[in-house]
Amino acid sequence: MSSEARLRASQSGKRRWWLLIAIVVVATLPLLFQDSYWRANLIVCALNVILAIGLDFILGYAGQLNLGHSAFYGIGAYASTLLIIKLGVPFWIAFAAGMALSGAAGMALSLFAVRLRGHYLAIASLGFAVIVHQVLLNWISLTQGPLGIYAIKPPPDIAVPGLPILSFGNSANMFYLVAGFAFLFYVLLDQLVRSPIGEALAAIREDEVSAASFGINCTVWKVFAFGMGSALAGAAGAFYASFVGTLVPDAFIITESFTILAMVIVGGMGTLTGPVWGAILLTVLPELLRGIGDLRLVVYGAALTLVVLFVPGGMVQAARIVRARLACLPIASTRQ
Amino acid sequence: MLTVALQQGINGIVFGSLYVLVALGLTLIYGVLVQINFAHADIVTIGAFAAYFFTFVFGGNYLVSIGIAVIVGAALGWLVNAAIFAPLRERGSELLPLIATIGVSILLQNAMLLWFGPIPYAFDSPYSNEVIRLWGGTFITWQNLIIIVVSALTIALLYAFMKFTMMGKALRAVAQDRETAGLMGINPNQLVMLTFVIASALAGMGGAMLGPVLVLTPFAGTSLIVKAFAIVIIGGFGNVEGTIIAGLAVGLIESFATQLINPGLTDIVVFTLLLLMLAFRPTGLIAEKREENV
Repeated sequence: MSSEARLRASQSGKRRWWLLIAIVVVATLPLLFQDSYWRANLIVCALNVILAIGLDFILGYAGQLNLGHSAFYGIGAYASTLLIIKLGVPFWIAFAAGMALSGAAGMALSLFAVRLRGHYLAIASLGFAVIVHQVLLNWISLTQGPLGIYAIKPPPDIAVPGLPILSFGNSANMFYLVAGFAFLFYVLLDQLVRSPIGEALAAIREDEVSAASFGINCTVWKVFAFGMGSALAGAAGAFYASFVGTLVPDAFIITESFTILAMVIVGGMGTLTGPVWGAILLTVLPELLRGIGDLRLVVYGAALTLVVLFVPGGMVQAARIVRARLACLPIASTRQ
Repeated sequence: MLTVALQQGINGIVFGSLYVLVALGLTLIYGVLVQINFAHADIVTIGAFAAYFFTFVFGGNYLVSIGIAVIVGAALGWLVNAAIFAPLRERGSELLPLIATIGVSILLQNAMLLWFGPIPYAFDSPYSNEVIRLWGGTFITWQNLIIIVVSALTIALLYAFMKFTMMGKALRAVAQDRETAGLMGINPNQLVMLTFVIASALAGMGGAMLGPVLVLTPFAGTSLIVKAFAIVIIGGFGNVEGTIIAGLAVGLIESFATQLINPGLTDIVVFTLLLLMLAFRPTGLIAEKREENV
């Protein structure tokens, strides 16, 4: 067994432990937080985790600055809800359709913007988000415009014979559902990132021309990553609609894209654990600061700027620095 | 019908000139740095508030307040460059400065929201209600005339500065090739700072003139900046002439779309135009040899 293989094996063993700990923590959270306000925050946390890891896959792994993530979130929310309300489609089929539609929209935008790099893609995606928001506002016969859609039902109960009926009207169950999917998506992206696909994406992100010269089809993988990330946003959108129960276009304005971007950057772009922590921190911290006034977005803005300036690797980098310092401490003290 | 068309044409030029002022700043910065300053929007808003407070709280003259907004804008431009772009330049990342200025923008916007509140300020310029009658029943307010004249003069001055002065030539040299310009004895850092100051002064001026014709809230600049991005891309990033043409064109298109289609759809029209432009002619209206950016 080569040393590299041994390292990998020990790393994957460690990862398994971390996953187990995470599952236990997630399972106990709704028991610790019983009031509906904090339970709602837990669900929002899980939604934001899905959004942030999706955006990070596009931005951190495929190197495409997508400023229109809110648009895919909105497409998933509206598509799934309208399918349920207007056509009577069952929730889970509508959920899958919303995801597929968001993914397809993301792939279309990416395919269209494949010739564009960096800033141009950023502005194209921003423009796309403005168009989606305006369409939601103005296509009143379909979306009811600024009045919004009300009384959206939670996902249907799951009844397994022999077990109590699982109702998603209950906020704890809803949290388990969304967090479960966040988990599923995390593991999926984690596997993708470690597969040859992840290596291809890294090569493209670092240098597209040399990646192409190694026979990597840059277009295909960039479009794939964009589609994947936006499909996740679509899933989050479908859950959002069924959790909040109302949909208004202003839930998906471009500012929402920026808050998701802040979660990714603050957590640590280009890692999967980073955006999870970023999403949790930037969802919980503003709630804790609520007493001082509506500082939520001030916190986001300040965090985003300061992190880019001083710790561009985000919380993941900060944790690494702290760990390195701690590891040095005993050595320093034994020397004296 | 002709009267309506003429009137919409005048309104389109008024908004078009404001768009040009704001978009020119973005284009100038992109020209020398190949970077986007997202906080440009908030310099516009702060310029508008500076003019508002100077006129209504301190009882100053509105025309002088435009000058105040220019100074405030220039100072903010200096600050944004010194605090964000200069430290990040060494790291050489394409996207980090843009992300950092998105943060600055969110911060400024919401700090203003806490401070000034969400209720729109009634910024009634003393010139808003006086009307000059023109041929065939069309008219223009003094405020709009001021916007057109001041913008046109400023743009002409800037153009002359870029074309004929030594410093303007140095700026264009840096825009074309920063390294070679450096070898020719031009200090790029100084010129980048100068660009930021000029660009942000234009934004402040735009804000002061925009306050009275648009709703003045902490978000006034943001609704404008996304449009300014569209204009900059339609005109060709870093291309001054293209930006002027595209800004006026977008003002006119908006004005006629409001009249002929539906006011709610103007943004959709403008941004569809943006996406089409990106699909078919990403170098902008006037193509430049700048393929490495595309």
